[in-house]
Amino acid sequence: MTPQLSWYLALSAVLFTIGVVGVLIKRNVISMFMCIELMLNAVNLTFVAFSSFFRDVSGQLFVFIVMTVAAAEAAVGLGIIIAIFRNRESLDVDDASTLRL
Amino acid sequence: MVALLFILFAGMAIGCAISMVAQRNPLYGAISLIGVFISLACLYVTLAAPFIAAVQVIVYAGAIMVLVVFVIMLLNVEEEEWPTRMRSLVPIAVVLAAVLFAEAAFIIYFVQASPSTPTRNISDVGLTSSIGAGLFTTYLLPFEITSILLLMAVVGAMTLARTGGLLPPRAVVVPGHQVLARDVLDPRAVNDPEPIHARTTAEVEKILGIEGVPHVSDEDLSERSVRIL
Repeated sequence: MTPQLSWYLALSAVLFTIGVVGVLIKRNVISMFMCIELMLNAVNLTFVAFSSFFRDVSGQLFVFIVMTVAAAEAAVGLGIIIAIFRNRESLDVDDASTLRL
Repeated sequence: MVALLFILFAGMAIGCAISMVAQRNPLYGAISLIGVFISLACLYVTLAAPFIAAVQVIVYAGAIMVLVVFVIMLLNVEEEEWPTRMRSLVPIAVVLAAVLFAEAAFIIYFVQASPSTPTRNISDVGLTSSIGAGLFTTYLLPFEITSILLLMAVVGAMTLARTGGLLPPRAVVVPGHQVLARDVLDPRAVNDPEPIHARTTAEVEKILGIEGVPHVSDEDLSERSVRIL
């Protein structure tokens, strides 16, 4: 018995849902950031699964681009987190509810 | 055999993901997230995508998570407590989650009903050479745009992280008690070995006697940098 495409899609859906739940219930901005990374990875899994099952390399190219976006997001996002911490001395998102830095 | 591997790594990924959300200490959450990345890399190998598996380990588990752990260590993050407000919305949330789950199961059922091609046949999809050929021919424009994106990220990260120029009158202290070398912060005190004990930027400025001194010398940056401080 070999894994079907739907197995991978179901796993990806579960991981994405866990990521969404994390973003919604977490209050620490770094934890929320990590949950966003988890969601990006869930989407990557669907890309790779489709690419592999339909034998089309485009999916894996897009995974490559998604990873680049994730790396850029990590650099800028963590810079913003450090700037928020400098100003408010807190990482709780409820403390940073205004857009003013 | 592949099915067993799938079940093993899928279980590991889901377990680590749940553990990440359940952890209250962000550092343990980061370690759980590394577990998710590693198991996803193993799943990519079972999908015959060795290049993506390697990049997953190098970029995600390597670079990005090192950055996250570094920031967690730098900022001395405390454990978070669970939110207590809006408890009354929990039943509605459960109902909505059930609806979402039903929709997902419905869609997955129809995907399962459609025919799928087996992956085990010989193909070059997923090999580094085919990905490289795709990146430099069909998808050349997205590839170039990606490089511009990375450049913008570098500039943005530097702009966000900079504290406004030279150290002396503009030094920023990460909140928390610390001991600072005086001659690093104040060039006038090169021969004064007495360290500074301070908790905030304002305290350091008070000790050095530079309260009210503008934080930047270049005029055009002054207002913005003071606000960032």
